[in-house]
Amino acid sequence: MRIILTLLRKDFANFIRDKAAVSLTFLVPVALIYIFGQVFGLNRQDSGPTGIRLAVVNQSDNPAAQKLVDALKAEKSFRVLTHRVNADKSERPLTEEDLRPMIRDREFRFALVIPRDVIATRGFGLHLRILSDPRNDIETQTVNGLLQKAIFSNVPQLLGQSLQAGARKYLGNPRLDQFNGELAVAVTRAFGGDVEGTKQALAEGDFGLGALRAAGQSGQQGAAADFFAKAVKIENEQVVGKDVKSPEATRVVGGWAMMFLLFALSHSAAAFFEEKKAGLFQRLLSAPVRRAHILWSRFLYGVLLGLVQLTALFFAGRLMYGIDVLGNFGNLVAVCTAAAAACTAFGMLLAAISPTAAAANGLATFLVLTMSATGGAWFPVSFMPEFMQTIARFTLVYWSMEGFSQVLWAGQSFLQILPTVGVLLGITAGVMAVAVWRFNRGAIFD
Amino acid sequence: MLKLDRITKRYGTLTALDGVSLEIAPGEFFGLLGPNGAGKSTLMSLVAGLRAPEAGHITLDGRPVTAADPATRISLGLVPQTIALYEDLSAEQNLQIFGELYGLRGSDLRARIGEALEAVQLADRRRDQVKTFSGGMQRRLNLVAALLHRPRLLLCDEPTVGVDPQSRNAIFDFLEARVRAGLTVIYSTHYMEEATRLCSRIAIIDHGRIHALGALDELLARLPFRDEISFPATPATAELAARLAAHGQVTRDGGTHHFHPAAAFKTSAFYTLAESLSLPPRLFVTEQPTLEAVFLHLTGRTLRE
Repeated sequence: MRIILTLLRKDFANFIRDKAAVSLTFLVPVALIYIFGQVFGLNRQDSGPTGIRLAVVNQSDNPAAQKLVDALKAEKSFRVLTHRVNADKSERPLTEEDLRPMIRDREFRFALVIPRDVIATRGFGLHLRILSDPRNDIETQTVNGLLQKAIFSNVPQLLGQSLQAGARKYLGNPRLDQFNGELAVAVTRAFGGDVEGTKQALAEGDFGLGALRAAGQSGQQGAAADFFAKAVKIENEQVVGKDVKSPEATRVVGGWAMMFLLFALSHSAAAFFEEKKAGLFQRLLSAPVRRAHILWSRFLYGVLLGLVQLTALFFAGRLMYGIDVLGNFGNLVAVCTAAAAACTAFGMLLAAISPTAAAANGLATFLVLTMSATGGAWFPVSFMPEFMQTIARFTLVYWSMEGFSQVLWAGQSFLQILPTVGVLLGITAGVMAVAVWRFNRGAIFD
Repeated sequence: MLKLDRITKRYGTLTALDGVSLEIAPGEFFGLLGPNGAGKSTLMSLVAGLRAPEAGHITLDGRPVTAADPATRISLGLVPQTIALYEDLSAEQNLQIFGELYGLRGSDLRARIGEALEAVQLADRRRDQVKTFSGGMQRRLNLVAALLHRPRLLLCDEPTVGVDPQSRNAIFDFLEARVRAGLTVIYSTHYMEEATRLCSRIAIIDHGRIHALGALDELLARLPFRDEISFPATPATAELAARLAAHGQVTRDGGTHHFHPAAAFKTSAFYTLAESLSLPPRLFVTEQPTLEAVFLHLTGRTLRE
C-alpha cells in the first residue's frame, strides 16, 4: 500500500507541476463550458434563433397582410427586410423579382411573399409563398416553424376576409350586405352588443376565428393547426440547392472537414517543439538555411497537407454519401486551399505563442473546439445570441464553411466565391504576420 | 583560420561568455574542456552563427561570421549535442536532405552519402529508419551529417554523450583521420580523457572565461606538482588526509582522496607519514597529473561539479 501511495503522490506532484495539464483539466473545460453555454443559449429566456434575415414582399394592400408583416417584424427570430438599397443609396421596396437573385447572392436565405391574391377568391383560404436557401437543415426547419406560427397567429382576420370574398363572389354586394346585417342582428340578439359595430366587424372578416388560436394555446392545438394547415396554402420554393444530389451530407460535410483539418494541423504545431528539442533547428540554421526558409517551408507543407486531407475527405464523402465534388472541382480546390492556408497559419501561430509543446496542444484543443462551436460547425450560427454571431464572423471555420457551402451547395462561380476566399487569405496573411513576428522574437530557434 | 576577439554573450543577467579570445589554426584539433554550463555550447553556437555576441568579433578566414553569410556557413559544419536527425527517415534520406541544403545534388551527393555511410560503418543500414539505430549508430550518423558538404571547420559539441566505448572509439578514429586529412575541429567536452586523447591544443573554460590555453604538456606544466597520489577515503585514512593538507592540495572525489604534493614535499616523506599511521603501501596509487588536476588547480572545482 505504501508503494501505491508513493506512486500516487508522484503522479499528483507531476500533474501539479505540469501547467498545461492543469489548465487542460480545469481551466479549458470551464472556459469551453461557458462558451458552449453561450453558443447553445443555455439559461437564456429567449433561446432559439435571433436575427435571421427574412425578406418580405407584401403585394397585398389588405391591412391584415400588413399586420402579418408587422407581426414578423416584432418576432425577435427575424430581421425583416422589406426594402433594398439601390446603387445611389436610395431605397425602394423589395419586389418578388429581387428575391431569387438576392437569395442566390446569399444576402438572405428566407423570403416570404404575400401575393396580391393572398385571399383566395375561389373557395376559402389564403395563399402565401416562401422562398428559401435551405443550406442548413436545422435552421430551415426552425424558420419554417416560426413562419407558420407567425402566419397562423395572424391569419384569422385574413381567413374571415376570405370567407367574405367568397360570399361576395356568389351573393354579390347587396345580398352580402343583407347577409352581414341579418347575421349581425342574430349575433347581437344572442350575445348582446351593437348591431352596426358587429356588422362592420363581420364585413372586415372578424368571424371569431381568433378563438381557434386561443383554443390552440389551451391545448387543442391539433385541431386548430389542422384547420389552419388546410385553410392556409403555403407554397415553398427552394431557390438554391435544388439539384444537390446528397443534400443532408452536403450540408454537414464542410463543418466536419474543417474540424478534422484543424485538429491535424494543430498537431503540426507540436512538431516545431520536437524539432527544437532534437536540435534540428541548430543543424538547419548552421547550414545555409534561414528562419524564413524553415517557416515558409512549414507553411507550404501545412497548406499542401491540408489540401490533400480536405480533398481526400470530400472524395470519401462522395464515395460514402454521393456528395458531388467533381461538379465544381476547381472552385472546391480554391476554397480548400484558402481554408488549409488559414488553418496552417493558425497552427503556426499556436507554435509561435506557446512556450512548450504541451501548452501548444492545450491551446489548440481549446481553440479548435471554440472555433468549431462558434463558427457553426456543430450548430447553426443563427441560433446563437447576436454577439456570438458577430464573433463567428471572426473565425476561419465560419468562412471556410461559407466557402464550402457556396461551392457544394449553391454551385457558385469563382467570381462569387472570391470574396470568401479573399477573407480566408486575409485571415491567413494577418495570422501569419503575427506568427512570424512572434517566431522572430520568441525562443523556438534559440 | 578562426579568430574570436573579446567575445561576450549574455542571457539576461547571466554572462555566458566573458571577453573570450581565441585563435585556431587550420588543421588543428582544438579542445574546449569545461563542466556543464561553462559556456562551451554558447561558444559553439556563436561560431556557427546561430547567435550573435553582445560584444567582440568572430572571423573565419578574415570574414565576419554572421547568420546572413552563406560563405561562412558552407565553410563549417556543426555536430549538435543532441542527435539532430529525422528519426522516422532512413539514414540515407537524412543525409540526402542535409546534403541538399548545402547545394549538393545528383551523383555527387549520392557518392558522398555512400562514402559517409561507409566511413561510419552504416552502409548496410542505409535504408533503415534512424529510430531503429542504437545510440552509438545515431551518434555516428549525427557526425557524418555535418561533414557531407566537406567543411573546413567542424564544430563538435559534446558529440559522444551517452555513447558506448566502441562507438566512441570509432568516432575518435574517424575524426582523427579527418584532421590528418586537413580538417580543423573544435571539440567541446567535459571528459578530460577525450581532450587528452584527441586535442592538440585545449582551452579550459569555466563560467564563461578561458582559464588556460595550450597543448596538454603546457597545461600540465602549470601545475605546482608533478605527481598525484590517490588513496581511499576511509576513517582510517582521514588523519593522513588532514596531515597532508599542510604539504600540498588534498581533494576528495567520491570515495577517493587525491593528494597533489607541493614542490618541496618529497614522495618518500609521504610514505614515511603513511607508515607512521600504520597504513599499508598498497592503499596508495601514484599517477601523473591529468587535465582534471589542471582544471581543479585553475578553477578550484572538478569537471563533474
